[in-house]
Amino acid sequence: MSVAAPDLDWQFQLLDLHPGRPTPTLVPPPPPVEPGSALDQLRAALDPGVAGKVRSGAELLRRTQNTQPTAIIPTTLAPLDALLGGGLQRGKLVELVSRRAAGRFSIVLSALAAATSMGETAALIDLGDHFDPQLGEANGIDLRRLLWVRPRNVKEAVMSAEMITTTGFQLVVVDVGLHPLRGRRAPDAAWVRLARTAESVGAAMLVSSPYPLTGTASEAVVKGSVARAQWIGRGRSPRLLAGIEMTLTLEKHRHIKAGGRSAVTLLVPEAVESSSRRVAEVPVRTGATLLVDSKTRRPEDSP
Amino acid sequence: MTARIACFYVPMFPLAARLRSEPELLHEAVAIVEGNGNSAHVVAATRRARTKGIRPGLSLAQARSLLPKLIARGRDAECERTAQEALFEAAETFSPRVEDAGEGVVYVDIAGMNRHYDNELDLARSAMRAADGVGLPARVGIAASKLAARVAAELPKSPTVVDPGKESEFLAPLPLARLTPQLDAASTLRRWGIGSIGELASLPESEVASRLGELGRELHYAARGIDPRPLIPRPLPPDFREGMDLEWPLVALEPFLFIANAALDRLSKRMELQGFACKRLELTMTLEPDGFAARAIDLPAPTRDVKTMLTLLRLDLEKAPPGAPVVGFTLVAHPDRPRRAQLTLFGPAALSPEKLATTIARLVSLLGDGRVGMAMAVDGHLPERYTLGDYAPPPPPTTRPSPEKSRGLLAVRVFRPPIPVEVHTREADGETHIAAIQGEGDLSGSVRTSSGPWRVESSWWTDAPAAREYWDVELEGGGVYRVYQGASTEWFVDARYD
Repeated sequence: MSVAAPDLDWQFQLLDLHPGRPTPTLVPPPPPVEPGSALDQLRAALDPGVAGKVRSGAELLRRTQNTQPTAIIPTTLAPLDALLGGGLQRGKLVELVSRRAAGRFSIVLSALAAATSMGETAALIDLGDHFDPQLGEANGIDLRRLLWVRPRNVKEAVMSAEMITTTGFQLVVVDVGLHPLRGRRAPDAAWVRLARTAESVGAAMLVSSPYPLTGTASEAVVKGSVARAQWIGRGRSPRLLAGIEMTLTLEKHRHIKAGGRSAVTLLVPEAVESSSRRVAEVPVRTGATLLVDSKTRRPEDSP
Repeated sequence: MTARIACFYVPMFPLAARLRSEPELLHEAVAIVEGNGNSAHVVAATRRARTKGIRPGLSLAQARSLLPKLIARGRDAECERTAQEALFEAAETFSPRVEDAGEGVVYVDIAGMNRHYDNELDLARSAMRAADGVGLPARVGIAASKLAARVAAELPKSPTVVDPGKESEFLAPLPLARLTPQLDAASTLRRWGIGSIGELASLPESEVASRLGELGRELHYAARGIDPRPLIPRPLPPDFREGMDLEWPLVALEPFLFIANAALDRLSKRMELQGFACKRLELTMTLEPDGFAARAIDLPAPTRDVKTMLTLLRLDLEKAPPGAPVVGFTLVAHPDRPRRAQLTLFGPAALSPEKLATTIARLVSLLGDGRVGMAMAVDGHLPERYTLGDYAPPPPPTTRPSPEKSRGLLAVRVFRPPIPVEVHTREADGETHIAAIQGEGDLSGSVRTSSGPWRVESSWWTDAPAAREYWDVELEGGGVYRVYQGASTEWFVDARYD
């Protein structure tokens, strides 16, 4: 049976053989969206400081995407995440540089621990063969999700990184070890190619090196400096290493003003497991606490 | 259910097998010869050679007199065996019940496959395409019996489908030679005035049997389209093989890898047909003047990637060359099921098991054994302990969890092996302190603060006990290191706090 009527309601009334049955209704059409109001809504979702600087639609879109949690893999070290605008951005290469100051490898392990605890697969390309699985596990790394690769020179490291990135690993960390590097330095083009590979597959990439290697390929460069060891015990009493404090400086970022600094304090596992009494004994030299220091200073704040 | 049998038949099988291994000869005038010296005779020839008058049965000398530029190749048992295997596997993609009849003939039980194809002609065309995919130009015939299917497949206009129950009618007009080419009783039957299969089938079975014995009974059955024995399917082979006897000995690696690449490619396609991937690759090379060289390569994960397998093969051959010219080879791939993974819509992205296996195999080929894998913690007390396992990440969680907050632990960079250094100590207040260390590069300088010792004893019950005293030292120039003194009183730096 079929009927034709000028209105949909009339069609149902004509077809309905049993009076009293509820008439189906159509889903109401969505209200019209004004382009201006939609942009205002998106702008309102952003941080006010950032929203004021957005001038184009493309930039607005990118900023909005960056605020989504899935676009960033945090290192969960608050000072570093604050410097990088939340953490390691997927599809971008971040370089961490530090020769004298200690703490670079600890940051690498923290990033790996954060990624694997989120269920992501991560790869550590360990040029210096420095990784200690026991310590990695203590740091919170899910070793089942971590691919450990031990190349012999920089060239092999870059080639391995490219292969691994194209496979779909969400975080690829290239740690080139300590000075002097093993093998010749890779050309700038190799790092550019690596950065583009990461961008094409949406993988976060962290390069940890004693001095800048990636050149223009990196999205951000963070430099570690002024590492100081923290010792428990004073006077004639025996000393016990408690941790180190380092300063991180944002040397370069394509979208964040460079120059930001923050201090990070890293503890040896024994110091973390020890009682608060032992922590209280630490001769604090810089005013920082022994827990991870999340204070972040902008360059204009520094004296 | 009515029995339905499909027969894959490759005409001039020795030639087809050779062309599968050497496809560049397809458009040349090539003849396959059997026998040596004066007894060498042609068994098959390409179309180009046949147009010049080369026929099976001609001696090689006769053939060369007709066509001096004729390319003659001997029958290659290895090529034919692998071609037969490939044909079998192509047939197996249609049904698990496949009988290998040898010499380019395979029977497939296709009963019940009408659910997958509109009609049997479509099925037969698909079968021809599948055989083409493994490099063999097969003809296909479908009938209710193996014999009728084979006769139908041998007809030039392929595919041929014999309707159910029409086998006798189909066979009746055909000459007796179609029934069995090597028929000894043909002359006897010809004397009786019997020239076609139908005439034989019309004779009383008992009369034929009483005159020709058991052979006569079987012939009579065959003429009526009844198989003397049912289809006997072959179980799956435990491995996949490809190989070749070479025309001349190879002494360089590159030419050998060029041929091995083609063989690996064929292996990969055959494994793909069965849904397998290679877990272990074995290579056996026949050497000149005699002897064999065999080696096995265990792949880190099942893969079908030809480039990866070839790279591993190259590395292995470069590491240990065969030491003599190679005149033949066989590649054996031991199959395994490729890894599978269930993807999630809301959790983190999972790795494709196939891609991961290929990447790991490539990394191993680039870096060598023991340099790629999953780091595993080991029970014990010595800090440098570790072990490496196969990397097989668990499936990702179904939802995306928040990351666990960092514990902010200070990590150490382990030095493998530990670096020997010279250590200067001083006594103060009745205690020993480290005053300076002297080593290479940054590992030199006065010590600002030292802490220790901590004694570690391990494996004292074994022949290689470890007794060490560990210290933490901070150098004036920067850097905090972990040093230890072993039982031999030598000092080592085994880690840097970083």
